[in-house]
Amino acid sequence: MKRKAAVSAAVLSAGALLLSACGQGGPGSDGGAISDDKLVLAVLNDQSGVYKDLSGPNSVKAVEMAIADFEEKHGDDAVTSEIEVVSADHQNEPDVANTKAQELYDRELADVILDVPTSSAALAVANQAKTKQKLFINVGAATTELTGEQCNKYTFHWAYDTYMLANGTGAAVTKEGGKNWQIIYPDYAFGQDMENSFTAAVEAAGGTVGGTIPTPFPNDNFATFLTKAAAKNPDVIGTMQAGGDLVNLVKQFNEAGLADKGIELAVGLMFITDIHSLGVEQFAGTSFTDAWYWNMDEESRAWADRFLEETGTRPSFAHAANYSAATQYLEAVQRAGTDDADAVVGELEGLEVDDVFLRNGEIRAEDHRVIHDAYLARVKSPEDVTEDWDYEEIVTTIPAEEAFRPVEESGCSM
Amino acid sequence: MSNDVTSGATAHLDLPTDDVHVSATTPRRSGLRWLLLAAGLVVALALPWFIYPPIAMDIACWALFAISLDILLGYCGLLSFGHAAFWGGSAYCTGLVAVHYGVPFPVAVLAGMLFAMLIAVPIGYLSVRATGIYFAMVTLAFAQMIYFIANQWRDVTGGENGLQAVPKSFFGIELVETESFYFYYAALPMILLGMWAAWRIVHSPFGRVLVAIRDNAPRARALGYDVETYKVVAFVLSAGLAGLAGGLFAISHGFVSLQEVNWTTSGKVVLMAVLGGIGTLWGGVVGAGFIVVLEDYMASSGFEGIGIVTGSVFVVVVLLFRRGIWGTLAHHLGRRRQAGTRD
Repeated sequence: MKRKAAVSAAVLSAGALLLSACGQGGPGSDGGAISDDKLVLAVLNDQSGVYKDLSGPNSVKAVEMAIADFEEKHGDDAVTSEIEVVSADHQNEPDVANTKAQELYDRELADVILDVPTSSAALAVANQAKTKQKLFINVGAATTELTGEQCNKYTFHWAYDTYMLANGTGAAVTKEGGKNWQIIYPDYAFGQDMENSFTAAVEAAGGTVGGTIPTPFPNDNFATFLTKAAAKNPDVIGTMQAGGDLVNLVKQFNEAGLADKGIELAVGLMFITDIHSLGVEQFAGTSFTDAWYWNMDEESRAWADRFLEETGTRPSFAHAANYSAATQYLEAVQRAGTDDADAVVGELEGLEVDDVFLRNGEIRAEDHRVIHDAYLARVKSPEDVTEDWDYEEIVTTIPAEEAFRPVEESGCSM
Repeated sequence: MSNDVTSGATAHLDLPTDDVHVSATTPRRSGLRWLLLAAGLVVALALPWFIYPPIAMDIACWALFAISLDILLGYCGLLSFGHAAFWGGSAYCTGLVAVHYGVPFPVAVLAGMLFAMLIAVPIGYLSVRATGIYFAMVTLAFAQMIYFIANQWRDVTGGENGLQAVPKSFFGIELVETESFYFYYAALPMILLGMWAAWRIVHSPFGRVLVAIRDNAPRARALGYDVETYKVVAFVLSAGLAGLAGGLFAISHGFVSLQEVNWTTSGKVVLMAVLGGIGTLWGGVVGAGFIVVLEDYMASSGFEGIGIVTGSVFVVVVLLFRRGIWGTLAHHLGRRRQAGTRD
């Protein structure tokens, strides 16, 4: 008897719940120009792991700076006075990024998600943006897929990508006389992409790639790979390692005294925070492509000074790019007079813009790649460093239209 | 607790898994069990009203995954440290079937589940010969092989970029396909079916034999049971349930990442099962709910040391409540009741 009663109770309550569930409608919408009467900018990035320093919590600060500047500039004419920043930690895990992105759009009412380093996480968020029809401006990830085959109407790629890095360093170093290359790369998607792009860039610039050496990833001991590369007497050894692997490789490059043998080291991807953590003496003389450098001109320096006041540290290019992306998003909302995603996308597409981060910038309508001037940088010698974080010397400026992958090669169809 | 009637009132040994023995039950106890089941069902149905629906779905998937592991760990005494191979293997298979054939998601999940069972046959056959730490290491090794295949076979799996844009096709019912709230209710029956299957497995004569093998394998062999075959079958069934959970997880997220086949996923599910209490089935549900909610909360709170917290909780539970959260609860309730009926 008891058993029967319990079962029927369970079935009844289950039925009741299901019935009431059907009554619940979809997400609410209202007719106002600004949805939910406020603008919400969400920063989704690594707040606790390996990418914390190069972007992380300080990118949230950069977005807050952008909002403060926007409010100051437009005052009472601003499209709304209710602008918020929310942030979440994706721990560099695509699963977490995927869930958090949904949550930010649905529960936190985010109108745009910014940053998202780690390619797999970025691609997951791009898919959510497409499904939810809300904006996603990627800053921190490197994959060209975002503006390639997996591009979509609501996703923009702001700061850099693998093509830009390879093309910048590969072509520029070759033109400067480093004709004969050996490339060492970590054997996974990022490394393979970089290796392909570098080889193409070096050969297009008239150089030759004598050999490419895959290494395990992650890896600590690069001595054998470096010896193998150096045995061919190249002008340049290009490394596509990043983060901790890069630090190890550079240490071992120095210990082997390869620089004294006239071999130059070119790095695929490096952030100023990498130089800061290992020390400028380890990297001295290394060439790499930078999307922006805080001390490259007066305008950048002025902004970097404000950033220093806010955070106690100098900005990486990712911080500046987040500021730039937030600013241009807010300006687009202001011009459109609404935060409706399609209207804002319309305002952003094809926009030619200059700001503290974007020089000769253009938001390409065809693939949503944001192109801008890039820079070939060289790490200073310790004796040339005059102040904290004064690590880079800009060797050449790579014009925006040469720095990024041409539209016709992107394979993007929206 | 100290003045409780404990000594001698029960013949149970101080095993974390003593719940297994109490199948021949009094009517009173069976009533309580049904009540518990009803309460569990109500919680399962009410979950997306209180918790963000995608998170609720994560809890359901991880709960079934932890239960599948518990079949091996709690009832066979085999610690599989490679269950991510079946969860992730099924996730990829489900994702590929859904992407390329656009079939309704239950069909894709079923395909993923079958795939998980298929790869479990050779893996199980080769690993059940080992026990203890060796079994854990062999399963880990196989899982790493699956991981490397998934990583290297980029054309199919997308490498570490993952398999993107997995659709939630469901007979053209748009609410289910786009709203995670309704998707939860569409997917829940499969999860519950999987849990019911797990319950049937461990409470069948087959399950009794597994427990006998766990407690004393030579004796079970002497009684004429083919120990290895029993273990392989349990392994494959467990992999199937893990695959069911992994497939639904992939559909729910709309993509499959390399994380699903990574060893950290194997570790996480062991953590959940042990935290909740092994050999109880319910423990997996409790452990999964606890960990998923905790991680979600901490990712939003801006607190950095997620690993520190889950690690500390784990240490505390293992040191103070060796039976896990649910196991400890059930143990004390069981003793009370038993003491009551005997008096």
